[in-house]
Amino acid sequence: MKTRSLQRRYAIGRGITAVIIIIILVIVGAGAYFVLTPSTATTTSPTSSTPTSSTTTPPTLASGTLSVSFANVPVTDPAKGSDEASSTALVNLYDSLVFPTSAGTLQPDLATSWQVSSDGLTYTFKMRQGVTFHNGDPVTASDVVFSMNRLITVGQGYSYLFSPYIGNVTALDSSTVAIHLKKTFGPFLTALVRLYILDQKQVVANIGSGPYGSNGDYGSTWLLTHDAGSGPYSIQAANLESFMTLQAYTNYWNGTQTNQPSTVQIIGSTSSTQALFSSKQIQITDQWQPYSTVASLAQLKGAKLVTIPTVNEFYLMINTKQAPTDDIFVREAMTYAFNYTAVVNDIFTGSKPSAGPVPSALPGHDSAIPVGQQNLALAKQLMAKSKYAGQLNNYPVKYFWVTQVPAEQKMALQFASDMQQIGITVQVIGQPWLTVVADLANLTSSPNIVSIQDGASYFEAGSVLQSRYTSASDGTWEQNEWLQNTTLDNMIYSALSTLDQTARFKAYATIQQQIYNMYPTICAFDVYEVRAYYPTVVNWYAANGHPIVLLGYDFYFRDFQFYPSQLAALG
Amino acid sequence: MSSRTSSWTFVLKRIGYSAVSLVGLSILIFVIARVLPGDPARLALGPRAPQSIVDALRAQLHLNDPIFVQYFYWIQGIFSGNWGISLFTQRNVILDVQEFLPATVELIMFAAIIDLVLAVPLGLVAGRFANSAVDNGVRVLSYLGIAVPSFVVAVLLQLSLGYGTNLFPVIGRLSQSATPPPTITGLYTIDSILTGNYADLADAIWHLVLPAFALALGPIAQEARIMRSAVVENLRKDYTLSEVSHGLPERTITLKYLMKPSLIPTITIYGLDISAQIANAFLIELIFNWPGFSRYGLNAMLSKDLNAIVAVVIVAGFMFAIANILVDIVVGYLDPRIRLQERSEE
Repeated sequence: MKTRSLQRRYAIGRGITAVIIIIILVIVGAGAYFVLTPSTATTTSPTSSTPTSSTTTPPTLASGTLSVSFANVPVTDPAKGSDEASSTALVNLYDSLVFPTSAGTLQPDLATSWQVSSDGLTYTFKMRQGVTFHNGDPVTASDVVFSMNRLITVGQGYSYLFSPYIGNVTALDSSTVAIHLKKTFGPFLTALVRLYILDQKQVVANIGSGPYGSNGDYGSTWLLTHDAGSGPYSIQAANLESFMTLQAYTNYWNGTQTNQPSTVQIIGSTSSTQALFSSKQIQITDQWQPYSTVASLAQLKGAKLVTIPTVNEFYLMINTKQAPTDDIFVREAMTYAFNYTAVVNDIFTGSKPSAGPVPSALPGHDSAIPVGQQNLALAKQLMAKSKYAGQLNNYPVKYFWVTQVPAEQKMALQFASDMQQIGITVQVIGQPWLTVVADLANLTSSPNIVSIQDGASYFEAGSVLQSRYTSASDGTWEQNEWLQNTTLDNMIYSALSTLDQTARFKAYATIQQQIYNMYPTICAFDVYEVRAYYPTVVNWYAANGHPIVLLGYDFYFRDFQFYPSQLAALG
Repeated sequence: MSSRTSSWTFVLKRIGYSAVSLVGLSILIFVIARVLPGDPARLALGPRAPQSIVDALRAQLHLNDPIFVQYFYWIQGIFSGNWGISLFTQRNVILDVQEFLPATVELIMFAAIIDLVLAVPLGLVAGRFANSAVDNGVRVLSYLGIAVPSFVVAVLLQLSLGYGTNLFPVIGRLSQSATPPPTITGLYTIDSILTGNYADLADAIWHLVLPAFALALGPIAQEARIMRSAVVENLRKDYTLSEVSHGLPERTITLKYLMKPSLIPTITIYGLDISAQIANAFLIELIFNWPGFSRYGLNAMLSKDLNAIVAVVIVAGFMFAIANILVDIVVGYLDPRIRLQERSEE
């Protein structure tokens, strides 16, 4: 009995040893297999980078995958996504009625023409014929009706652009759609670049349970990993926390382009960007890396640093309701004491000092407003006029910076140093983004100053003026100024309702002057995206001086040329 | 009471303890998640969403109800498959668990295998040849393993074996050119075996090597030290001296009589280490861009995603409980005194 037990235990021991040896062999074997086998990912067809000479054959798509890093994986439901990665994906997956150009104008997209009623309340669009969604369904006027209704009902993403204005949307026939507004909205056509058209039939077929009555979840869950669009790319694969792969739609109504990337991978992480770019596994970096990192990456063989203007601005939002920044002389003194040049030269290198609250690249910006400049003598004079003069020690200024952006700390310290010269003591406090959002929700917990980047959703100054300075944004991260100024609110809404563009832009200019004279904000700098990329591998229109500065449109992949075979030459 | 009944009682008792712990944990994390600053509905919808939509979402999430009512709804949802909507991924949390948990389980499983394969022999050899050059070598390695955080190891491995020599991939679960196997378990290695896709199997293992090793190194070091100490202690015991004096072969003494009692403390720590890996995997998954559950948890916390935070903690707690039950069973098998003690207490 004992001998049998011993034999059994020996057998178990030998079994375990065998399993361990097999596991080791499998691991080593797998490693050896890949070390000894050439990677298929780096091999490319020699014809892939050769421009097509014949005009009768369709353009050749570049094989291989163009990879770009972003801060996060896109949210591809057009009624929900609105951040940079999401906007980029939406621009490529979906078509809109109109499309922006690099000149800031609009060109036809799904709509070939449009008419506006004399009262500016009805817009009638004639739809392009023969356009199909990725599943082959035809694009019709009823899809536009469905897309707008869905966007407003879900109420997220870019819906805020349309919710206050849309009365009803009607399909007059299969290729004509009429949009009736409740009140006039001057930049309505411009804002329409954010209405992405979905295939109603496909979305309805993929509805799950949800809060929208008979519409269930309105297809939201399905649309996070699939698309129902007609754009130049479709979703090939998606993992909601690490990547999304887009595949070129070869039946795109506007055709494909020579050497357009056949596949694009959006990597939703910035933590590995440096290493991935160094090993050529991504070809364009995200814009969230520190300047020093991007500059060092641009030193790699074949790499280049590029700065691209945006419609974003970095603001030091001043609380106008808390001491001592409730005094206009203190606020004005601060704007003159701040060293703008040091910030754009040494901290956010590549960006440019702002001229007022609207980014310079945005149509409707008032060029009469001067660029911010340090003038310590004037700042001291202004401080002397303040009701807090001589007692500033009792009123330290609380300054929040967002800890997720380390460079903000340097700017905060620069600010504190500048303010010390005019007698203001600044308490620099780093806060996580969510804490900043929570604190800005109430006037009592809002700091005197917070540094935040914000920008336009559509191509007009009105977008920024509305989101930054109307009372509707009090209590959100978009306004720490707490202006609560009804007159200003009315001026902004009145400008937005003005149909004539010249008159509207004039109104925008007056509003900018008004805001400028109230000194509620230190307009630190216009944000320029700083990225590294491989120009011989990617021909990128935005890097060549033709950016469409609206969020997401810098990455319209149909207009890229990709030469993956050039990667090998970079070593 | 028969031996079999006793074993079942032993297991059921541990399951009972674990269930009580999980309920306590769920209450604790549920309350903590809800006292964090910020309105989750507003965070989910963004600053520009109309207040009416925000209010509707608050009502839908029962955020206006007392916290114990919210907890009741949550428990009800857990058992009906509705774990709430993740504010981060915008879908039912249970879908996220289904998608991301297998990746982490696979990573932890491989780390556990590497851990066991290396820690036990290293500790055994070091203990058997205590104070020799081999022991000193293992000691240095152990100190390094314990002292150097796993994320540093991860970066070093990436730099040396990934970027430096290109021997192993540095991100993801599969190569860009590979097509994932059809989902059966969600573990690529298992699914590729089940579907006979051996190219995917090799690719998946190739991707697992660096993150799994980075995750395993700390526990290897710790367990090797414990194994070594246990071996040294057992070497001095009378029964070992008796075996030596009776002339039993050294291999038999080491592998049969010395290893089993020495494994008891090692396996106990091994179980705890594996349970803790779901938390340790946070940074590893971030560094290797590994689409796993730990990284999901990190994102959930950064975006104050209440439902996801609670789900992550509960699932982690559940895995911890399972690992502990398994460890108790294994230790009970290795050391009958523990089972007998349970029996005598009844």
